[in-house]
Parts: sequence; structure tokens; C-alpha cells
Amino acid sequence: MSSETTAGPAESTGPVERLHIAGLHAATDAVLSVRDLNVRFNTENGVVHAVRGVDFDLLPGKTLGIVGESGSGKSVTSLAIMGLLPATAEISGSVRLKGRELLGLSDKAMCEYRGNELAMVFQDPLSSLTPVYTVGTQITEALTIHNPTMSRQAKEARAVELLAMVGIPSPKDRLRAFPHEFSGGMRQRVMIAIAIANNPRVLIADEPTTALDVTIQAQVLEVLHRAQEETGAAVVMITHDLGVVAGMADEIMVMYAGKPVETGEVDEIYYNPRMPYTMGLLGAVPRVDVAEKTSLVPIEGMPPNLLHQPTGCSFAPRCPLVSDACLAGEPALAPVAGGVQHRAACIKAESLGGADVDVQDVFAAPPVPVSRFDSIPRTERSTVLQLKDVRKHFPLTRGALFKRRIGTVKAVDGLSFDIREGECFSIVGESGSGKTTTLLEIMEFHKDQDGEVVIGGISNKQAVDAKTKSAMRRELQMVFQDPTGALDPRFTVYEVLAEPLQNVGMDRPAIRKRIMELMKLVGLQPDHVNRFPNQFSGGQRQRIGIARALAVNPKLVVLDEPVSALDVSVQAGVINLLDKLRAELGLSYLLVAHDLSVVRHISNRVAVMYLGKIVEIGEVDRVFDNPRHPYTRALLSAIPVPDPQLERTRERIILQGDLPSPLDAPKGCNFATRCPVFAALPPAKQEKCLTLEPPLEPVAPSAATQALEAAPVPSPDQRFACFFPDGELDEDMLVVHEPADHHAP
Amino acid sequence: MTNLNAVDPAAAAQDAHLENADVVIGKNTIIFRRFMRNKTAVAGLAIFLALTLFSFVGGYFTQWDKETIDPFNIGMPPSAEHYLGTSQAGIDLYAMTVEGTRISILIGLIVGLVSVLIAAVYGCTMAYFGGKVDKVMLFVLEALIMMPALLVVAVATSGGGEGLKRDLPSWLLLIIVLLVFSWMGTARLIRSLSMSLMQRDFVKAAQYMGVPPRRIVWRHLVPNIGSLLVLDITRGVTGAILAEVAFSFIGIGIKVPDVSLGVLIGGATSQVQTFPWMFWVPLTVMFLLTGSLAMMNDGLRDAFDPSSSSSGKARKTKARRISAETATMKKKAS
Ligand SMILES: Nc1ncnc2c1ncn2[C@@H]1O[C@H](COP(=O)(O)OP(=O)(O)O)[C@@H](O)[C@H]1O
Ligand code: SF4
Ligand code: SF4
Ligand SMILES: [Mg+2]
Repeated sequence: MSSETTAGPAESTGPVERLHIAGLHAATDAVLSVRDLNVRFNTENGVVHAVRGVDFDLLPGKTLGIVGESGSGKSVTSLAIMGLLPATAEISGSVRLKGRELLGLSDKAMCEYRGNELAMVFQDPLSSLTPVYTVGTQITEALTIHNPTMSRQAKEARAVELLAMVGIPSPKDRLRAFPHEFSGGMRQRVMIAIAIANNPRVLIADEPTTALDVTIQAQVLEVLHRAQEETGAAVVMITHDLGVVAGMADEIMVMYAGKPVETGEVDEIYYNPRMPYTMGLLGAVPRVDVAEKTSLVPIEGMPPNLLHQPTGCSFAPRCPLVSDACLAGEPALAPVAGGVQHRAACIKAESLGGADVDVQDVFAAPPVPVSRFDSIPRTERSTVLQLKDVRKHFPLTRGALFKRRIGTVKAVDGLSFDIREGECFSIVGESGSGKTTTLLEIMEFHKDQDGEVVIGGISNKQAVDAKTKSAMRRELQMVFQDPTGALDPRFTVYEVLAEPLQNVGMDRPAIRKRIMELMKLVGLQPDHVNRFPNQFSGGQRQRIGIARALAVNPKLVVLDEPVSALDVSVQAGVINLLDKLRAELGLSYLLVAHDLSVVRHISNRVAVMYLGKIVEIGEVDRVFDNPRHPYTRALLSAIPVPDPQLERTRERIILQGDLPSPLDAPKGCNFATRCPVFAALPPAKQEKCLTLEPPLEPVAPSAATQALEAAPVPSPDQRFACFFPDGELDEDMLVVHEPADHHAP
Repeated sequence: MTNLNAVDPAAAAQDAHLENADVVIGKNTIIFRRFMRNKTAVAGLAIFLALTLFSFVGGYFTQWDKETIDPFNIGMPPSAEHYLGTSQAGIDLYAMTVEGTRISILIGLIVGLVSVLIAAVYGCTMAYFGGKVDKVMLFVLEALIMMPALLVVAVATSGGGEGLKRDLPSWLLLIIVLLVFSWMGTARLIRSLSMSLMQRDFVKAAQYMGVPPRRIVWRHLVPNIGSLLVLDITRGVTGAILAEVAFSFIGIGIKVPDVSLGVLIGGATSQVQTFPWMFWVPLTVMFLLTGSLAMMNDGLRDAFDPSSSSSGKARKTKARRISAETATMKKKAS
């Protein structure tokens, strides 16, 4: 180790000193510089060219965002830098950390750097913590490896300091906790604590928030931001979500088929993309903050097979602008005229600049479909589904031999809503808020349920015999979250689609005909019916699932997170399809999703659920543009938007902690434990939240409109359950990153 | 040739290939082909079949049988007359090995097949009915698992089972006892597997479409458990063969005059020095038996596994072949 790094973290604890260490290098010196990094894997199937020529320089304290679809080589790049690739990998090029070459070092030599100057946070926090050791042991272990001389007390103190830094409450007691006692978000924070334990100069985060809920994602991103500020580390942030990096990154590298295809300063990439792939990615993301409805940009096709060295532009098979010239040699990453350090690998990069290039046109996004129901007022359309005070409580029991009831989990607690013809109604909320249980209650459709479910005029309370039940099943079909699990791996597509049709007693020729129709309807090639599900991509499998749901011509389709397992570019195609089908077939949807951008894009009405109750419900634009409940506000502020300037100045409500256990929810308002308004209330008013349950009440029409109209104004379609919707927000939970915070380009 | 210049000609060609409906082959054919592609597994199958054949027709190649004593050849090493030598009592080892192998294979096959059958019926019943039925049946199962099998075998085959012993040959008795104790693990596995299958989305999808339960079990559960059953049969056969050897070895399994591999090995251990052939021959046969089953098991697992690398390999080999074809096409064209 060189002398400058021996001033290790043991002695220096203040952030100022740490920044000082970082400052030992002139600010222009790259702390990590990667040149022409190539990674090939020798597999049984041939040589996979996973990474082809990655170049970048990372300055201290800066953040590089690496973006791309799954399989584009992001993770391999990061593992190559960390020296964590298996022996079958063939790595060439150069990776220099503060001027010292890392490639070619033995595993033992790399250990000097790993966890010390180079640290990494992985996607899955469960598998990266050892379950049998306490969290404290794992943090001190990280400290011991690189500071053998550090005393036990010092290590313990440092561990407590680290846990506090990543926002774990009562860190001293938590040292003795095991990983399984922590939630996903907490584990990810522990991972970050371990990663920054030795003041790394470079921190690599590989999809650190992909497995987490939006509110927790916001917390973790905030912790990363703070960790970077305190340690002055350079960060490599890997993600497939352009929203996540918009507010954090200084520079962006877009990867495709193992190659950087566009690099540049963050604003350049987002506001002036020059490579069709980047443009497509940006156009594929629905926006939570934009009401105006445009179709999303789908990028058709699949990423190429990396077994073959492309001879032309690797994006050519999916590129709408492809021409013969694109196939003559792979375009190099060349500087874009007028851009600051902006480079793109496209022969048409120059012509793609400027405001007159519209990504919707370039990618031929379909027109926004119009349903015949759109022009009919909601109140005049018939109701396809109605829930009245539906409840589902699970008894919570303890004990193996003698089960004692120790409480009740109120998974769904008094839900009422209705869905009209041609409408998309969405339920949003963190996981565990009861969304799936609600869907299952509807699908269950049983006489003994607590509450009434009316589907197409048939109530579950009427004597439900097999015949009415099967009539109900024809009205209502479901699309599942995981497109792979929802299809029997032993069925061909034909058999999958034939099953519901056989079940309603259709004859063979009719089934054949219907299946061909369905395949066309969902945009699949009819001659693929003989294939097995594993011969399709994820997006195609979800289309099969949709086709199966539509087979018997239902009126209402229940969609449980239909796109959350898909990449953004593929997701866009499925969302467009759902939109089209709703308009063309006059379908109604009941959609459950945790991604509020998707919800805003496709729904007409939305309900926000928290601990089994609806806390806000109404027309989607009203709820999203003017949220009244503090929880809705927090959810909305947590969604990152792919707009760097907006992201940097955006005010963000960071909810404390995780969703509390729904076990014996508090008497008053469910949300009080995490409510930012509640935290800022004077004790007298807090009392009200704690003792009374806020009812779901309509938003009062503003005084101005009331004064204008003589007759009583119908209240707008928005109801919420909170006593103090206009209350001040607690300052601790409100985070605004000052623009100064962000280094000027 | 701009069209071939596309990024992935092989994938494209494969795609076109797959589009022909006739290319999609039946599941069983795929499994059979995958199994046949695994050289080790095929070798295992061949060895096992050869041993089975040997155990049934091997007796015709010698005039000796397992009971006749040859007073002129006592404890002789292999010779032209006695291919594998004779025992201390002057009985032909070849004849005994043929007989022992047959008994061992019979025990293995019967115990393997029947126990999996019992396990499947029992496990599926538990999973299908659930609730109280499941609880009671699970209790019975756990109780059986706890029972000391060794003790019961010892009692049944030697001490207490006098009446039984009179009416039944010892190998049949052993089969019954082994059966009683061999199906529980598999049953529990099948129960949990079918339970998790019931939770899978494709089963839920069928339920929500209103498909009747019996049809769901038949169309979705059984085919998905089938592979496990086949695997468990080979495992069960191996287990039973080894159990027989172990029990007979310590003297509580098959009893003389019945012979089995276990009896032969057990009887010869004390005389490895003086009559080595008496020990090594049955031991080799036993290794061949269990080894060939293990080799088959491996191939079967690979063949049934929908995500197995073997399938990938198979498809990719095709892809590679196609890409080679396209390459030659390219060459020809240029
Ligand atoms: N079978 C069950 N037994 C006990 N608790 C359950 C059961 N199913 C769901 N829950 C609980 O109900 C709550 C809501 O779950 P769920 O509907 O799956 O939420 P979401 O769909 O929003 O992720 C969770 O706290 C979950 O643990
Ligand atoms: S080089 Fe051609 S094919 Fe590649 S991205 Fe640019 S326009 Fe598209
Ligand atoms: S009622 Fe009180 S605790 Fe509940 S959301 Fe409103 S302010 Fe927060
Ligand atoms: Mg869920």
C-alpha cells in the first residue's frame, strides 16, 4: 500500500479529514480510470463477448451512471473492476485505481483494495450478508481485514457510527441483530455501511434499489448520497432505470451489447441524446409528473446474442433509422459536435441533435388509442365490479403444538370501490399494503367472504352455484406478475390458450380459429403456437398471458403487476398493448402496481392503499397533481423522474422506516407512525390522529368555484383519509438537495 | 450480403428454423434424446441391462447351481470348471452370483417401484385434501420415520417373525419390511412439491378460469411431478439394493439358503485373505449395479430438468451448426 492510504479510516473519523485525503489528488486526477476494458467468457456455446471496449475516467467525489437493458454488460464491467469475475473470464485492457494497475493482480493482491479503496453494493442484500453472523460482526470484520491493529472498542464505535450514518435507528442495539431480523431496505443500508466502512475511494453500486419499494428506494438513494458526501468517494451507479440516476449522476454511460454507445455529461444525455437507443430508452419511461398522454416508445426486438462479434452497428436490428451504411462496420464512439465530452456511437448522431427530432416519430410510437367509452361520462357507464366493505383478516398464531392466537393481521380492512366499463382502476401502495390480497379476494368470489363483491351484476352473497360461478369467470380474467410462473412449462402456447376455451366447451375448429385471432391481437406471430413458453422472451410471455386472459372475452381483466418483471423498453410495448386492447375491446382493468409512473400512464382512477385501507382515491390526474394525503405525497415524491434538472431541485419526502407490521394496527390513523405531517403537529393535534380514525372524505370544492356557481357544485372525484391534509411537513423527513450541492459541470 | 451482415445470423436462422411447426417436438422425445445424449447415462443403462440379463440367463451357462456341493473343489480359485471358483463349502460362486444378483435386482426394483407408487398416492392425497386429512397422514408419516427400521428388520427376519418366516422366503420378508420404511421421504417430498405446485401461478390461472380440480391435477400436477417420480425410482432401487446388502451383511437380512449379494459379501469378509474371489466378485457386481444406477440417475435428472444446460447445449449446438452452415454459405457466396 502506498503511504497516502495508510492514513486509514482508523484515525480519521471526521468527514473533513476524509475529504482531505481525497483531495490529496488534484481534482483533475481520475481516481479510477478504465481503458479499453474487454471481457470474454469461454462457455460451452462459444465465446461470449460480454464487455467490449469500456473507457471512462472517474474523478473523486463524482458519480458515473451506467445505464442499459439487462444483459448489456453493466454488472460484468463492475465485477471486472472489482476483480470478482470467475476464472473463465478473459479480461483485457486496463483498470487503474489512483494510477495503479488492478488488472492482472492476483486475488490476494486484489484483497488489499477490495473493501478498502474499492467497495461494492450488490442488488440483492439478502444474499450478500452472511445469515449466521450478526450485523455487528460483519461490519467489524470488514474493519479488521484492513486495519488489523484497530482496537476492539474502536471498531465497535466505528460500527455504531456507520450504522447511524446509514440511518439505522438505535444502532448500538442493532449491532447484535442478525440479517434476517432486518427488512430488505435495512439490509441494503447495512451493505452500504460495510461498503463505506474503510472510506473507499470508489464505491460501485450495482442496481442497489431494484429489489426495493419506491419509498425504501428513496431512503437508500438518500443514504448513498449522504455516504458519498461524507466519504468523498467516487460512485459508479449501475441501473436500468434512467430515473434513478438522473438526480445523482454527473456523467452517464449508456451500454448496449457490451459496448458503451453513448457517454457524456448527464444533462447532455437526457436533454440532447444522439443515439437512437438512448432516445428509445428515454421515451420508453412513463412519467409520473406529466399528465399529458402520449404513447410510450417501444424498442422492438431483443438485445443481440453476444456470441457473435457484430459486423455492423449492434443496435441495427432494432433501430428505426437503420440504413445500409449502418451495417458496414460497427460505429465507433465519436465526439458529438457541440456537446461537452459528449460521445455517441451512431453514424447519424449529428443529424439527431436539435429540437426538431421527436422520439415518438423516430420510433413510430402508436397513436394514443381512444376508447368508445371515453366520451361517455363515468356515471352513465355500467358498473363491472363493485366491492363493498371487503375485509380479510388472518389470524396470527404462535406455537407448534398448541396454536395460540396472538393477534390479527388485517391484510384488507374495509375496502369499497367500483369499476365502470372501459375504465382502468389502479391500486398502488408499498408491498405488504394488501394489494395482492385484495385481488385474491375478488378472484376467490365466495359466499362466506367478509364483505360483498359484485362482478357483472352477480354478487358473491347470492347463492353461488357452479353455473353462476362459471358465468362470473367469463366476465373476469387475470394476468399474473411473473409471466414465466403463470405458464405451465409443459404446455405449448396452443395448449395454454386452448385451456380456457375448452373449459367453456368450445369445439376444436372454433378453438383453432380463436387462438389464431388471439395471437394476432396481442402481437405474436400466429405460427408460434407450437412453441413452449421457454422459447419466448419475457415480454412475449406476458403477451401470451394477456392472450389467455382475453380468450373468453371477459369484461374485466385483473392485472397483478403485469410489467414489473420486464425491462423498460419491453415494458413500454406491453403497456401500449394493454392501452390498445382497452380501447379496442372496451375492457376494464383492475391494475395493481407499485410503479406510480406506469399507473399514471395507463389508469383513469387510482386508489392508494396503506395497511389494508384506502387512504386516497380518485381520478388519477387529480390525485397525482394534487395529492392530499401525506402518504400519497410521500409516494409521489419518492418516484425518480428521468429529468436531471428537475431531480436536483426536487423536494423529497423521505419516510422513516418500513411499513409497520399490520398486526393489530393502531387505534387512530394507521399512518401516524411514519406520517411527516403528524411528526410536525403540536401534541394537542397529534392526539386526534392517535385516537380517531380519519374517514375517507371527498375533497371540498374550492371556495372560489363554490362562489362562482349558484347551484351546489358536485364534489370532484377525489377522496382521502386525513385530518390535517394542509399540515406542515416535518423538516427531518423533507430533503431538498441544494443545486450548490451538485457540482457545476 | 447485407442480410447476413445482421448482428446474429445464427439466431435469425434458428428462429426461422423454429417457425416451422414440425420442428417443435414432443416432450418425451426431447427427454429421450437428452438422455441418449448423455454418454455416461447410456453406459449406466447398458451396464444395468447387461447385469439384469446376466442374472436371468447366466444360470444356463454352467451346470452348477447354488446348492450343489462339489466335493472335489472346495475353496478353489477360479478355474475352467468353476468360472469364479467355489466357496469354502464347495458351492459354485458363479451360480451363487447369478442367483444373488437376481435377488438383489428384484429387491431393488420391487422396493424402488412400489415405494414410489405408495409415496405418490400418499403424498398427492395429502396435498390435494390438505387440512385435517393432511395433518393426520403427516403424523403417521412422521411416526414411521421415527421408527427404528434396523430393529424392526432384525425382529421380523430373525427373532419374532417365526410364523412369518415359515411361510415366506426371507427375501420376500425383507422386501416387505424395506417397503414399509422406504416410502416416507419421497411421500413428504411429493407432498411439498405438489403443494408448491398448487401455489404456482399457472395452477391459480387454471383455477381462476374455472377448470375443475381433477383436471388441474391431471393436466398440471402429474406431468410436473412425473420427472421427480422417475428420478426417485432409480434412487429407490439403489437405496434398496444397498439396504439389502447392509442388512444381510450384519446378518439380519436375507438368510441362507437364500443368497443375495449382501449374503455373499457378508459371508466372505472374514476370509478375504484366504478366499479373495469370494469377496471381490460379489462386491464388484454390487458396485456395478449401484454405479450404473447412479450414472443413469444423473442423466435422467439432466434430461428432465427443463432448465438443464443439456437442453441449452442441444439447442446451441444446433445454433452453432446453423451458424457454421451460414458461414459456409457466406464463403460460397463470396
Ligand atoms: N396467508 C397469509 N397469512 C398471514 N398473513 C398474510 C397472508 N397473506 C398475506 N398476508 C399479509 O397481508 C399483508 C398484505 O399482503 P399482500 O396483499 O401480499 O400485499 P401486497 O400485495 O401489497 O404486497 C402482508 O402483511 C402479508 O404479510
Ligand atoms: S448507426 Fe445506424 S443502426 Fe446504429 S444506431 Fe445509428 S442509425 Fe441506428
Ligand atoms: S390523520 Fe394525522 S397521522 Fe394520519 S395521515 Fe393525517 S396527519 Fe398523518
Ligand atoms: Mg404483492
